[in-house]
Amino acid sequence: MKVRAAIAAAVIAAALTIPANAFAYLTWFEFARQSNTASTLTMVWQYGTGYYGTQSWRAGSGASTDACWIGHGWLPVGYYDLKGHWDYYDGTIKGRVFYLQNKPCWNGTWRTELFVHSEETAGQGQYCPTAGDDPYCWEGPSDYYSNGCIKVSRAGSPSDLRLVHDGWHGKRGDYRHGYFTVGNWLYVHD
Amino acid sequence: MKRVFGVRATAAAVAIAAGVGAGLASFGVFGAHGAVPRTGPLSVRVGLKNPPTAFVRGDGLFTEKAGRSQLGAAVSGAMIGPLSPVAVRSSDGRLVAYNTWHELRKVDSEQSFSKQAIADGEALGTPSLRVHDDSGKDVVLAQGAYSAAWRQDGSIAFVKGVDHDFRAGRPYLGQVVVRDGIHGGDVAWTTEPAHYVVYAWAGDRLLLYRVGLGEKLELLVAEGPGMLRPLADGSAIAVSPDATHVAVLSQNATTVRVLDVASGRELSWLDVTTAMPPLGWVGYSGSWVGDHIVAPASAGLAVLHVGSGSLELEQVLGLDHAQFPAGVQEPRFVDGAGNEIAATADIPPSKGNTGVSFLLQCDRIARICERGEPAPAKEWLRPVDDAPGASDEGGH
Repeated sequence: MKVRAAIAAAVIAAALTIPANAFAYLTWFEFARQSNTASTLTMVWQYGTGYYGTQSWRAGSGASTDACWIGHGWLPVGYYDLKGHWDYYDGTIKGRVFYLQNKPCWNGTWRTELFVHSEETAGQGQYCPTAGDDPYCWEGPSDYYSNGCIKVSRAGSPSDLRLVHDGWHGKRGDYRHGYFTVGNWLYVHD
Repeated sequence: MKRVFGVRATAAAVAIAAGVGAGLASFGVFGAHGAVPRTGPLSVRVGLKNPPTAFVRGDGLFTEKAGRSQLGAAVSGAMIGPLSPVAVRSSDGRLVAYNTWHELRKVDSEQSFSKQAIADGEALGTPSLRVHDDSGKDVVLAQGAYSAAWRQDGSIAFVKGVDHDFRAGRPYLGQVVVRDGIHGGDVAWTTEPAHYVVYAWAGDRLLLYRVGLGEKLELLVAEGPGMLRPLADGSAIAVSPDATHVAVLSQNATTVRVLDVASGRELSWLDVTTAMPPLGWVGYSGSWVGDHIVAPASAGLAVLHVGSGSLELEQVLGLDHAQFPAGVQEPRFVDGAGNEIAATADIPPSKGNTGVSFLLQCDRIARICERGEPAPAKEWLRPVDDAPGASDEGGH
């Protein structure tokens, strides 16, 4: 028994010294702009040379298809770095959020402060006090509209937001939170 | 964001069916060129020779009187998009304030910052405001500044950056200042640095945006230094000609409200998704003349009628989405009767072509537009806005 315990302890100790992402896959997201409320967000992970896994969700962005329209149009095409991720973000946007880099659109207008997120509270709950539209409550498909951010559904269990969130951590093996940079985290295309 | 369906949608569908029937019946009586504005598609043809308003493009200012005047720098709305005019004329008509952008670091918009070795916090460019006078003199109003609005007395409000430079990975924080004439001193009207954009004066009250996370737009009113109050969540379509009211748009771009600027009281409202015909959305930065408001809309252009305590969708002017996929921006009435509309139409890049912009002038009675020559979108072809008092037309 002592030998077994020693071996087990050694295995555990070895596991703990291995970086968390030692077995992680190269993982990124792609956003295919199709319409403001019915586009596709896809998580892609490379599990071997030339081998890719994917998982896709419905997602929305903006209220119009003019990427140069601040606070109104969907987000511009191109590659984006991730500049931070939080589980309990408590700003105007709350809960599980992925913060994207600034991006100029095709006429040079800068789009800023854009996220991938949903409609939930800072504690990852739902707050639906009115019969109308509540900003921290996922009421339905009209919630895919945004001022430019990418939004995924918070409905169901597990919600798409949870699948995006857990998928990122699990596939990438990156459990960091707060400000940090992941290069080319998102690719937006038509 | 929520759009209301169900009972409202059914009612709207019934109303639409009735409206279409009535429209078809009356079309034969009045015809397309009657005096009554009607909903329908716009016919756009090439051939705008004399734009109805002064405009800017690249480093040129174009007016009917003087032709092309050389500006001190190329115009750019990099920090404002359509939230605020790129160029605006003073009330006395002598000065044009315009936004510029000095690029400090070439940025490929298709690539990420990391791919271009752009470090977090690296300076990318500097926005500046310049003023051009009718004698051709052109001076820097302020470096590290953008979005200008002239008050009728010649004072000018703008955003002055805490740091002159716009930096990678950082919001551009600034204070809203009011300068007593172009050579006067700056007085800060805001107390906390934030991402502001100056929109317009409504008399002596300044309307401005605070841009939040996720580009959430909050419309604020400033009545003097430190005297700031929220007016509406959302954006502004236009200030009334008498500068007492403002038409505001909800965050989800579907509800228009007319507010009293002084008190914030709501005077009328309209949900455009249940209007006739229903619209998916309307856009900010339109124009108001008499009792009409024009705004960009999902279908093209929307003309609203402002009554005493009422707001109605009077006309929808449809633009061919294949021809104008991004619709139009910043439409302006250019006649006192509110029948002529000037706007900019941007065409996004596609299949290797770069984006271009056109000036459009539309007759909303005949539903015919003439468009000017295309210009590269990065040259910021835009009409020059008139400050209150500079013309008979309404505020933007």
